[in-house]
Amino acid sequence: MRNSERIIRAILIVYLAFIFIFIFTPIVTSIIFSFNSDRFPTLPLGSFTLKWYETIYSDPDVWEAARNSLIVAVSVGILSTIIGFCTAYTDFRYQFRFKNTYLALALLPPTVPLIILALAMLAWFSKIGVSGQLWTIILAHTVLCAPFAMAVIRLRLQQMDADLESAAWNLGASEWAAMKEVVIPFATPSIISALCLTMAVSFDEFAVAWFVSGLNKTIPVIILEILQGNIDPQINAIGTFVFFTSMTLVIIAQLFFSFRSPKTP
Amino acid sequence: MKATEEIMGDMHQEPQIVFENVVKYFGDVAAVQKMNLSIQKGEFIAIMGSSGCGKTTTLRMLAGMETPTEGEIRLNGERINELKPSERNTPMVWQSLALFPFLNVIENVEFGLKMRGIETGERRRRALEWLSRMEIEEFADRSIDQLSGGQRQRVALARALVTEPPVLLLDEPLSALDANLVVRMQGVLSRLQKELGITFVYVTHSQSEAFAMADRVVIMSKGVIEQIGTPQEVYRKPASQFVANFVGSNNILSGSLQSMDGSSVTIDTEIGLVQANLPVDRACLQGSHLGLVISADAMSLSVDDDSSNSSRTHINQTHADQPSDNQFRCRLISEEFVGAMVTLLVETDSGFELRIQLFQKELDQIGFSESASNNGTFLWVSWSRESVYILP
Repeated sequence: MRNSERIIRAILIVYLAFIFIFIFTPIVTSIIFSFNSDRFPTLPLGSFTLKWYETIYSDPDVWEAARNSLIVAVSVGILSTIIGFCTAYTDFRYQFRFKNTYLALALLPPTVPLIILALAMLAWFSKIGVSGQLWTIILAHTVLCAPFAMAVIRLRLQQMDADLESAAWNLGASEWAAMKEVVIPFATPSIISALCLTMAVSFDEFAVAWFVSGLNKTIPVIILEILQGNIDPQINAIGTFVFFTSMTLVIIAQLFFSFRSPKTP
Repeated sequence: MKATEEIMGDMHQEPQIVFENVVKYFGDVAAVQKMNLSIQKGEFIAIMGSSGCGKTTTLRMLAGMETPTEGEIRLNGERINELKPSERNTPMVWQSLALFPFLNVIENVEFGLKMRGIETGERRRRALEWLSRMEIEEFADRSIDQLSGGQRQRVALARALVTEPPVLLLDEPLSALDANLVVRMQGVLSRLQKELGITFVYVTHSQSEAFAMADRVVIMSKGVIEQIGTPQEVYRKPASQFVANFVGSNNILSGSLQSMDGSSVTIDTEIGLVQANLPVDRACLQGSHLGLVISADAMSLSVDDDSSNSSRTHINQTHADQPSDNQFRCRLISEEFVGAMVTLLVETDSGFELRIQLFQKELDQIGFSESASNNGTFLWVSWSRESVYILP
């Protein structure tokens, strides 16, 4: 019995190791080659260089894309978190008919294949004549990201003693004051988590951005454009930058997501 | 005592809290039905009942967390049905305590004052005053999770009382504490209520809590008030079979009227003929089915020394000064000691179980020994006519 358990454990560890290897090897490789002086990614490595970073640093197109990505990510983060909070609070506070339908609909967008969502967005935006503007990307990404924010905040609200809000009313707080003084402070860790998570999703998102963006390219879109032209090590440099930005956001999100306030019985 | 003074003083005025024909439905389920209840200013009232009897709903309607479906609730003569919770000054101590986990002790206590727009310095001063009154001022800057159960209880009380409300609502506040602490907190609550002279409405399922603290108790079942009265009234003169059962430590017999003379009645019950005093209100003798209540502490016991039927003389000898009206032969089933009190469960010849409560001292006096009783020695249980209460 103990022996077989040990074998299973060993297999699982090897399995986990392989998962990490498959996920991280390409990324690590890409990071290494971003500092390599050779034009083509081959072994043995050439000398250490920052030349590819200098190239993207001096490229106004990359700067433009970074600026777009930043505007989109921050706007999407804020909008999705607000919408996600409202949706989650509705679920926490109210009982109504078809509540399950409401929840299913609220969680639906990420289950639609991205390419279909992207095409539909493009078709719809051109139909009403607003395609190719930055705010249309924000709109499209918000549709995609709000459910993530809702899921994260909803989990936190589920840990809240329902009496807490009533207790605030009971002590003279209006509904708005109770929201400001009790519900939001309680949900703050999940709100920060949702903000970082949705920003990361928006920052990395390619398909919808590519279809909807028009001339306002975001970082993932410009990566593809550079890639289509030729094999260029500056891709590795941009990739490294994107990787660290996203990882930072996701790690912050995770830290706040697993925040538990000490239990009060 | 204070409560009665207040009542006398305000005779002409309406009671502080009035429930008039209040009905509350949740969907099709009636949580509270046609409730009429008046609570005087300064009264300590306990609402009791098992879970789902509507006691918590009653309290929540008073706090504004629920709106009555029908009827009217008045506080100081004004209808409050439509007032939002934040518009009434009826703070509550919650069963879960519902302390704000992200605020420290003093911030929790200050909350009610902050919501009323009282400025920081004043608010801190008043909160500290209450913390020291509850003897927890040294924990002012602690977070809630660093406190023990009893300390949290005190924070919850201070938080509710800091706004100096006319009424305090308590929803099973002691149910999470261990037995020793419960008794201590009962003392704290009783003293506090007397000092402040405000009305306490206390919801509980625990008879001992209610009886220990309340001026009056309200017993509810299935959304209906079964009885309102002082703890003594409810205990000695239960208004219904339900109440008699609920307050426990009672023996309930049922039977039919056998005969009646000028001063007493004889009732044919499960254990045989039982004598009782002729009740003042004879209405309760109507109907074929009578309910009798004899509280366990009104019964006395004697030991049969030779297991023969001469035992009757034996009892009359030992209790010559107060002859018993009702005596039945029985056998011990089990006994349970709680401090100086002993609760015995005995079975009569007809197979009916009776509960007897005695002091250990009394047991020693009659020469009761557990081993002898277990060996099948007969016991005699007896009680006087006066101690038999006939249910209305």
